[in-house]
Amino acid sequence: MNAKANKNQVTCIEPDYYQAITEAIRKEAVKILKDETVVGVVGYLPGRRKGTASPALVTTVEEAEKLIFSPACVNNLSVYLTKAKKGVLKQGKVGIVAKGCDMRALAGLMTESQLQREDLFIIGVVCPGVYGFGVERTGTLTEANIARKCRECTVHMPEGADVAAGTHAELADLTPEEAQEMARIEAMPQAERWAFWKEHFSRCIRCMACRQVCPFCYCEQCLCDKNRPQAVESSPRPAGNMAWHLVRAMHLAGRCGGCAECERVCPMDIPLNLLNRRMAQELKELYDFEAGLTPVDKGPLNEYKENDDQSFIK
Amino acid sequence: MSRIGVFVCHCGENISRTVDVEQVAKAAGEIPGVAFSCDYKYMCSDPGQTLLKKAVAEHKLDGVLVAACSPRMHEKTFRKAAEAAGLNPYLCEMANIREHCSWVHEDRDMATAKAKDIVKLMVERVRKGKSLAPITVPVTKRALVIGGGIAGIQAALDIADAGHRVVLVEREPSIGGHMAQLSETFPTLDCSQCIMTPKMVDVANHPNITLFTYSEIEKVDGYIGNFQVTVKHKARSVDESKCTGCGICMTKCPKKKIPNEFDQGHGMRPAIYVPFPQAVPNTPVIDRENCTMFQSGKCGVCAKVCGPGAVDYEQQDTFTVEDVGAIVVATGFKLYTIDRKPEGSPIQGYGEFGYGTIPDIIDGMTFERLASASGPTGGKILRPSDGKEPKQVVFIQCVGSRAREKGISYCSKVCCMYTAKHTMLYHHKVHDGQAYVFFMDARTPGKGYDEFWRRAVEEEEAVYIRGMVSRMYQRGDKIVVMGSDIQVGVQVEIEADLVVLATAVQPQDGADLLAQKLGISYDKYNFYSEAHAKLKPVECATAGIYLAGACQGPKDIPDTVSQASAAAAKVMTLFAKDKLERDPVVAKVNEKYCVGCFACKKVCAYGAIEEKEIRDRQGNLVKKVAYVNPGVCGGCGTCQATCPSKSIELDGYTDEQIMAMIEAL
Repeated sequence: MNAKANKNQVTCIEPDYYQAITEAIRKEAVKILKDETVVGVVGYLPGRRKGTASPALVTTVEEAEKLIFSPACVNNLSVYLTKAKKGVLKQGKVGIVAKGCDMRALAGLMTESQLQREDLFIIGVVCPGVYGFGVERTGTLTEANIARKCRECTVHMPEGADVAAGTHAELADLTPEEAQEMARIEAMPQAERWAFWKEHFSRCIRCMACRQVCPFCYCEQCLCDKNRPQAVESSPRPAGNMAWHLVRAMHLAGRCGGCAECERVCPMDIPLNLLNRRMAQELKELYDFEAGLTPVDKGPLNEYKENDDQSFIK
Repeated sequence: MSRIGVFVCHCGENISRTVDVEQVAKAAGEIPGVAFSCDYKYMCSDPGQTLLKKAVAEHKLDGVLVAACSPRMHEKTFRKAAEAAGLNPYLCEMANIREHCSWVHEDRDMATAKAKDIVKLMVERVRKGKSLAPITVPVTKRALVIGGGIAGIQAALDIADAGHRVVLVEREPSIGGHMAQLSETFPTLDCSQCIMTPKMVDVANHPNITLFTYSEIEKVDGYIGNFQVTVKHKARSVDESKCTGCGICMTKCPKKKIPNEFDQGHGMRPAIYVPFPQAVPNTPVIDRENCTMFQSGKCGVCAKVCGPGAVDYEQQDTFTVEDVGAIVVATGFKLYTIDRKPEGSPIQGYGEFGYGTIPDIIDGMTFERLASASGPTGGKILRPSDGKEPKQVVFIQCVGSRAREKGISYCSKVCCMYTAKHTMLYHHKVHDGQAYVFFMDARTPGKGYDEFWRRAVEEEEAVYIRGMVSRMYQRGDKIVVMGSDIQVGVQVEIEADLVVLATAVQPQDGADLLAQKLGISYDKYNFYSEAHAKLKPVECATAGIYLAGACQGPKDIPDTVSQASAAAAKVMTLFAKDKLERDPVVAKVNEKYCVGCFACKKVCAYGAIEEKEIRDRQGNLVKKVAYVNPGVCGGCGTCQATCPSKSIELDGYTDEQIMAMIEAL
C-alpha cells in the first residue's frame, strides 16, 4: 500500500462522510434529470426503519433530492438494469449510483452484451464500506459493524464512472475474515471439505434468492428451471441442492465481481461468497484474470489460446 | 412407444472376435421400444443393407440403429439405406462397437457387456432423434484466387477454362511470382520464363478472369458459396485504362539506381517501373518511397513524357467488394534469410555465417537471377562483390531447414534438387570452375529426380561432401568455408569465391494475418493447415476455402501445379450445383429464451453466429438474440456447451438426446 493511501486510512467513518456523498449524489442526480441526460436514476432512498435504505428508481427532481447514501446502502443496484427487471432501461438512458463492487457487475454486464455504456450515466461512490448483517446499524462505520466482503475490498474507487462522489477513505487494520476462512477450508482434508459444503448445502431451501439478487443471473429461463431435459432437480433435496450450488458457482466463474449479494440475502446463511472467491482465485491463478475490472471483449473462459494451461488433461 | 430396429454387425470377425454379437442383438431386443433386432456378418454389404430395408418395411420401424463401426466409416451408407426404405435418414444412427469396443478390448465378457451398454444408450439417442432436412445454400459461381504465382495462375486458368468467372488478386505489380524469377527448372532444365510467361499472358487474355495486381485482401465476410471479399487496390499512380505500356516513363525516369526486387536487389530499376520486361500487366507502378515527385514534389518527368497522360500522382487506394463462392489461397513462399532475427523470434539467424554481411554469400534465388539470361548479369555467373567470375563455388544445403536449433525443423523439399541444378548451370557456364556441395542427405523422390541428381554428381563433376558447415568468414577476397566430411571423418576447409545457400522455404510475410481474415488455421511456422493430411490435402477446415502451392508447405513446381489443379477441381465440384446441400447437424437458437449474452458468438470457431434483432409489430426493438447461420455452422457444439441458459442446441445432439443417453447407463 502506498503512502497516500495510508494517509486515508482511518479507524472509523463518521456519518458526515456519508452525508457528503449523499449531497454529491443528489446534486448530480438533480442535474442529469433536469437537463434530461437521463430519464431516471437508480439509487437509494431512506428505508422506513432507521438505519435502513431501499433501492429506488427516481424520475423527478423532487424524488432525486431525497436520494441518500449510507452504510445501509448494501444492495447492488446493477441488478435493476438486467433482463430480470427489464422495464428500467427501455425508457432511455438511466443514471445509476454504483459502489466499486457494483461497478464490477456493470463492467461484467457490458462484457456480456447486457448493457451498453452509452445507455448509462454512472454516479460512482467512493465507498469505505457498508454494514454487515446482524449488526448495530447506527452511527459510525467501524471494524465492529462493517460487512465481511468490505474488509478485503480492493475497489474503493469506482473506476470508469462518469462522476465520483466522495473522497478516498477506508478503515485501517481490518481482519480479513473471508480470506482466513478460505485458508481454513483449503487446509481441510478433501473429505472434510466435502462434508463442510454438504452440511451447508443440505440446509438450502431452494428459495433462489441468491439467483434473483445476482446481477449475472439474467437468463430469462434458468437452466435449473428447465425440465426437458431436467438438468438440476428442483426440489430441496441433497443431490439437487449440491447440483444447483455447483452450477451457480461454475456459471459465475470468471464473471462474479464479488458483491456478495447472494450471501447477504441467503436466509440459511450459506457462505456463498466463499465459493465465488474460490472460483475467482482459480481464474486469477490460471489466467491472471479478475472479472469486471473493466469491460473486456471476451473473458478467459470463452477464449482458446494455444499456450493455455493444459495440465488438467491427464 | 417407438419402434426401433437394432442391427448388430459382425464386421467379419472384427467385432465378433471379441464381442458376442448374438447376445448384444438379443439384449437390444429387450430394450423397451425396440421392435426388431438381429445380427449379420456384414451389415454394410448389399444383403446387409437389404436386410435393413426389409426390416424397416416389415416391422414399420421409426428409427434405426446399426451397431457396427465408426460413423465416420459407414454412417452415410446406412443413412442412405434408411432413406431408401422411406425413413428420414437422420433417424438412423450408428453405435460404434468396433473402434470403441472390439478393437480395444480383449476380455470377451466385458467387451460384450460394454457393447450392450453402447447399444442401450444409442437406442435412447435414436428415440429422441428428430427428422432433419438437409440445408441448402445458394452458390455464387465465381471464384477468388489469392496469389498470382504458378499456383494461383494454374488454379485460375483451370477454373476459368471450366466456364466459371475468377478474380485473381496479386500483391505485387505483376503476376508470375517466384517461378518467373527462376532460370531453368529441374529435372529437364527448360527455361522457366519460357513456360511461365505464356500462362501469364493466358491469364491476362482470359475472358473469365478478372486480374487485380498490386492489390491485397482487406476483409473477408460470408461463408461457403457466399463470400464477400473486400479487395484493396493500392494506388499505382498510373491509370491502367490509359497506359499503353510503351515504357517511355521508365527510360526517362531520372532516378534509376533503385535495387530491383525481382533481381533480388542485384539489378537496378527506376522509380516508375514494371518488375521485369515480361510483366503482366505491362503497366508500371510508381514506387512512392523512392520517387522524387512524391518525396520532394519536384520532378514530374514521367507525367510529362507520358503520351496518353496515364501518370496520376493523385491516385488513392480504392476498395471493391467481390462476391465469390469459393476461395483458393495460393500465397506462396519466401526464402529464409541468415540475417539476425528480431529479439524473441523463435527462428534464429546464422551468426557463424556472418548474419548475411558477407557480400559473396548469396541465396539460391539470387543464384537463379545470376544464371538467368534476363538477370542482372545477362546470364553470366559473376559474383556480387567485384563482378569476377568465381572459380570455386560452395553450395550449402539445409540452411535453416532441418535445423531445430535455428527454429525450423521441417525439410524445405526443393533445395536438394535446385542445388543439383545450380551445380550443373554453373558447370555449363564456367567450364574451369569447381562446385562443392555440403549436404546432409540428398532427397530426390520424384519422376526423373534421382537421375538428375546422379547426373550432377557423376557427369557434371559436382563434389558432394556429406557434412555441415560450421563457420564461414571473409579472408582477402575469398570466403573460408569450414566444414566437416563425415563420411571420411575429416575437417574440410575450402577457399570459395562464392557461396550459395539453399535457405529454407518459409510462408510469405503476413500469411498469418491473411489466415485470420479468412478464418483458416495455420501451423507454428504460419503454413496453412489442410483439413486432413492425407484425405483432404487441398481443403481447409473452413468450408469453401482451398489451398494451392507452397503456402501450405514447401513444394516444387510439379507438386504446386498438381495441387492448384486439384484445388480448381474442388472449386468446380462446388460450382457444379446451383445450391449447396449441407448436413443439417447445425446449431439452432431458442429465441424465446436466448438472453443475448453472445458467449456463443465469442466461442464460435466458424464465425457462424450473428446478432439478430427481434422487433414487435411497431418496429420497437424487443431484444437481441443469437442467430446461427446454417451455411457456416460447422456443427462442433461449442456454443451448446457454452450457453449458460442452454438456449442453443445442436440438431442431432440435443441436450435431451445426450441426457437420455446418460440416463440409460
